[in-house]
Amino acid sequence: MEKKTGEPLIHLAVLEEVLNLCRANSLWPMTFGLACCAIEMMAAGAARFDLDRFGAGVFRPSARQSDLMIVAGTISKKMAPAVERLYDQMPAPKWVIAMGNCAISGGPFMYEGQYAIVPGADLIIPVDVYVPGCPPRPEGLIEGILQLEEKITNRPRLRKFR
Amino acid sequence: MTSPIIIPSLEAILGADKLTELDYAATGCHVRAEAVPEQMPAVAAAMLEQKFYLASLTALDLVESLELVYHFASFYQLCRLVVHAPLAKGAAAPTISHVYPGADWFEREVFEMFGITFAGHPNLKNLILPEDADFHPLLKDFVASS
Amino acid sequence: MMLEKGIEEKTFYLNLGPQHPATHGVLRVVLEMDGEFIANSEPIIGYGHRAHEKMAELRTYQQYLPNMGRVDYLHALAYNQCYCMAVEKLTGIQVPERAEFIRVITSELNRISSHLLWFGAYLLDLGAFTPFLYCFDDREHILDLLDRITGSRLTYCFYRFGGVPVDVDEEFIAGTRAFISRLRSRWNDYDTLVTKNVIFINRTRDVGIMTPEQALKYGVTGPNLRGSGIPYDIRKSEPFSVYPLFDFEIPLGERGDVLDRYVVRLQEMEQSLRIIEQALDKLPEGPIMAEKVPKRLKPPEGEVYTAVETARGEFGIYLVSKGDVKPYRLKLRVPCFSNLSVMPELFQDVMVADAVAILGSLDLVIPDIDR
Repeated sequence: MEKKTGEPLIHLAVLEEVLNLCRANSLWPMTFGLACCAIEMMAAGAARFDLDRFGAGVFRPSARQSDLMIVAGTISKKMAPAVERLYDQMPAPKWVIAMGNCAISGGPFMYEGQYAIVPGADLIIPVDVYVPGCPPRPEGLIEGILQLEEKITNRPRLRKFR
Repeated sequence: MTSPIIIPSLEAILGADKLTELDYAATGCHVRAEAVPEQMPAVAAAMLEQKFYLASLTALDLVESLELVYHFASFYQLCRLVVHAPLAKGAAAPTISHVYPGADWFEREVFEMFGITFAGHPNLKNLILPEDADFHPLLKDFVASS
Repeated sequence: MMLEKGIEEKTFYLNLGPQHPATHGVLRVVLEMDGEFIANSEPIIGYGHRAHEKMAELRTYQQYLPNMGRVDYLHALAYNQCYCMAVEKLTGIQVPERAEFIRVITSELNRISSHLLWFGAYLLDLGAFTPFLYCFDDREHILDLLDRITGSRLTYCFYRFGGVPVDVDEEFIAGTRAFISRLRSRWNDYDTLVTKNVIFINRTRDVGIMTPEQALKYGVTGPNLRGSGIPYDIRKSEPFSVYPLFDFEIPLGERGDVLDRYVVRLQEMEQSLRIIEQALDKLPEGPIMAEKVPKRLKPPEGEVYTAVETARGEFGIYLVSKGDVKPYRLKLRVPCFSNLSVMPELFQDVMVADAVAILGSLDLVIPDIDR
């Protein structure tokens, strides 16, 4: 299988740093709920946690418009081809957050005799940030997004407070 | 408690010795019936006439044989019926989806999970498993590959 | 109105999902379209299949408890309760009354949080964004309360065989009472924002009518059934736990359309508040766990069927034991499975925009269907 990557096709040296700063502060996640974690993802975007504070609250219904895929839930073997295709449809540069234990490693559903799930999103697409929890709290997801921003720009957003 | 009203119509189909009244507090059902799968369309029709709905349809793998288990209940009175229909491995059971359209999906699920075919089912193919899956995971001798 | 079938006209196929904002997770519906009208539809499920039933046969009774929070994660506590009831019936464990009260209080709070989430997500489907923020705000208060005693926000695993592990404290009781009055003061906002909104009424009135006959033949339960006017609520008609001690009503619809199902759910939240209020008033003192629950649970040979009323309808567990530490077979009778199977009938000859309104009104949780 050809190795997938979320890298853009063309790199533009110095300009890239400025672009990355812009990208990191306006991540557009795809509405991509697979199971329980999707509810916490919704909660992260709603009233109390307000993901919009970090510029990542513009959930897009189309893969073509988004640059962040939050894999929120168990990937079943039946769903795996669709996940892969959705990732392929996203324009580069693109990033992936594996939210919850199921998307990281199969979580509570990985056991001897399991036949239905793909144990880990990184088996089919490249993952940038792993957010553990079953499900992770919305704060956890927000922290994951901040980590991703740090990965994109190479500098922390909240330098003073760390 | 008086005998549930479904008993007379079921006795006509199955015979009195196939029906047992159960202890509801211990088992959650009022009546247990033994049937052969061929009687199920008639049983289902009788239950629909009494305005019972099909709560669940599943199967048991008893290793040497299989058993279909039907649960009926009513919106209008407290009465739950469980029907056990033993079935040899590899045998087909008649569908009840023409009586209860809701049984369509239940039968497809039993088909993929246990490999039981339902004769006369309009659309017997995998429901939950991928379309090309050819294993029956809820059989006791099933071993997951890879 | 249907288009006349001419020689030139052809139907075409439209895919709704498996990843679409209005499909609530990973449901896929293949629509055969005749112009803008749906000629045929077929839901394709299984994208969230996690093999819960197989897992039951490979796990001991206690090890399987956490799974019950993850079948229908929106009303997880009802699933907890049903599974505990099934095992308690098989083994003959008696649950102390205080534990039953705590179960009812927490489960009803969970029901409200589930309905609130449906309310927000459904209006999102219809294009209204503001109610989503309102109800998530209210929902967070419930999650705080439940988080306090169960330790989690969503996938609860709180009940044990024979009772509950943690007692409620004064702060929880005071917080719950405060929440009840808070939510009651919100009904007016919800009604003026949504229920009396003429756009909303026009989109939902007389759309997606489900007749009692259809409900009966497909085994539809829960608010979807009560929207069609059948007063079937397992809390009343097959009383379990301590529900008979409380005075509450079963809200009913008349026409069985989308608006009726909406109104039933909204009124059900108020009834749940009434139950919680009474349960807090009557909360007895006493132990919260049964004595002598064996660590290594080995129920005797036998089979049992238990059913509870979840936010979406009848959830039943058919449990067969062969006297082992693991269940021999555990069948989950999930409400959404039957509630979705009726959908092709409701979709017949409606427009796509109405289809989204109907699909949302059924309140589906897809991993619940797929198990």
